Amino acid sequence: MSEVHTLESRLLTTGTERLALLGKHADALMQGYTRDEVPLEALTDAALRKLLAARILWRPDEQGGVKLSPKVRDLIAEMLADETRRHVNADVAETLELIRSLVQSYREARSRGEYWQQEQQLLRLRQEVDDLNGRFADAIDSLWQRLNSDFGFVSRLNDKIRENHRAQKQIERLLDGLTLIDFDELIDLVGSDGTLRKLLISQLQQQLSQHYTSLREVQRRLTELMARFRQQQSQSRLVAGMAAFLREHPGFVPGNYARRSEVPALVNRATPLVAAAAPALDRHQDAAVLSELIRQLPVPVHSPQTVEAAQPAEQQQESHVAARQQALKQDVERFYLTVVDEADVSGVSALGYLHARELEWQDEIWLFQVIAEYQSLPRSEQRAFRLHQEESQASSYNHVRLIHDVTLTLAISA
Amino acid sequence: MIEHGPLIERLLAGDFICAVSDENAFRRLQDEQTREQLDTYLRPLNRRLAANPEGSVYFLAWRNVNDEAREQLSQQLGETLHSLLPLLEWLRLVQEALGRDALVAPGDVLKPAEFSAKCEDNQSLRERLEKLATDSFFGSQSEQLDAQLKQVFKRLKEHGYLLQPHADRQVYLVTGKVDYLIDLVRFIRDEENLPIDEEAPTTQEALL
Repeated sequence: MSEVHTLESRLLTTGTERLALLGKHADALMQGYTRDEVPLEALTDAALRKLLAARILWRPDEQGGVKLSPKVRDLIAEMLADETRRHVNADVAETLELIRSLVQSYREARSRGEYWQQEQQLLRLRQEVDDLNGRFADAIDSLWQRLNSDFGFVSRLNDKIRENHRAQKQIERLLDGLTLIDFDELIDLVGSDGTLRKLLISQLQQQLSQHYTSLREVQRRLTELMARFRQQQSQSRLVAGMAAFLREHPGFVPGNYARRSEVPALVNRATPLVAAAAPALDRHQDAAVLSELIRQLPVPVHSPQTVEAAQPAEQQQESHVAARQQALKQDVERFYLTVVDEADVSGVSALGYLHARELEWQDEIWLFQVIAEYQSLPRSEQRAFRLHQEESQASSYNHVRLIHDVTLTLAISA
Repeated sequence: MIEHGPLIERLLAGDFICAVSDENAFRRLQDEQTREQLDTYLRPLNRRLAANPEGSVYFLAWRNVNDEAREQLSQQLGETLHSLLPLLEWLRLVQEALGRDALVAPGDVLKPAEFSAKCEDNQSLRERLEKLATDSFFGSQSEQLDAQLKQVFKRLKEHGYLLQPHADRQVYLVTGKVDYLIDLVRFIRDEENLPIDEEAPTTQEALL
């Protein structure tokens, strides 16, 4: 018995030491995981020896570098859920073989009355069953992860298709593995032992049937996803191909599908139709709604006058002023002509003329225009007239002079 | 029927209804009874409900393809063909700019800013975008990259290929009308027997 205990405690010590190696050299090991080889410069000779002894590392050949052992690589991939590297181990046959022999040993121990041995066998049996169950659960988890990420760990569609293919093969292997488990055989194997029966029949059967359902579901989804990948690939090729074709054949005109006796469904698109409506007052009950709407219309604070709207009015005004101006000018010109015609030496008073002819102009404006007309005459013509201004000083304090009237005299004779 | 009012109006206006453009309406259109109801309603307008082969977009078709309808369809086909190459080039450009080997699909999110960044880094993409934006279908007059992108997105939105959920945010969703476009391309290829291969080249597959 003590021998057994010594063995157990030695296993415990060594196991703990070796597990600790993983933590101690985690950096170097992870570099070995991401690259091909473990960088040796990070490890002392003693450390390297220990890692090799623990089968954490191995040396594939004498000349080559040191690499992670496959089991450690798997362990890391599992821990990281690194879907590119997770392995699916569906080796059910070997597990079944082991279970058979463990059941045999268990029975023998029981018949010999070796209680401790019996317990040990049962423990290992339990572990093996858990392991088998765990392997399926892990594999299914890994498959779901890949599926749910649309194989996001690879970017190219071709890679996705290959990964999907690989996953489907794994499922087939897992399903094949499940078929190897023959419950009739297990029932015979466990016989009447209640503990074994519970472990190997009822529990395992329930778990495996769950796995089977999950695997079928994953398989279905993978097939669907594969179809989508393939469709994406073909669409992409189609678009690239058509674009290239159209570029190469700029004058390409397909048949007029609209003229066929049977218009293809895809090109039959009806013209857009706008369902227009306008406010109508022919229904009494709508009047209230409409008046409410009108009341809700925002009232413009300023009715801004647009330039376009203002323009004609301004022009009209301008033309009106211009016309008045023209009339005034013509009246003044007639006044000058009268002076020429009458050739009166005493001259003609401008205001006198204005009042005599009953013209509508104000005195001031009239005088202004008469003077302006004189100023605007060419010098030679100006000399033909003499303009006498009747004026007075506005006030004795300044030199502003007020013009009361002007008299125009023809100066030809002079 | 009253609850379908807005949907009928959109359909009549020439909109394509898909799961992206109007999820609720699209779900209703998947019900055969609703489709029949709508068809009955549309009958006097000489229109009926139609869908692409996969049933991912719904639109209105002429019920009775009379001379007037044929005239309109011919004209529409001409316009579609005119826009075909620019649209396909756009699909290719998006694919390359985003470094994907699948085409954009309904529901994908596109951001002009993302393209802008990609095109600034890549002269060839920049030139292709420039060529595309100044094509008469997109009709950009600008020499600025951002303005060109803006115009391209605007036109695609006008034509119903993109949807802008928030008017003040430059984020667009690809609609199911893209599916229709691809269906149309496939249709033309089949009808005209164009030498365009959709399947993976077998030699390449063998090499992989």
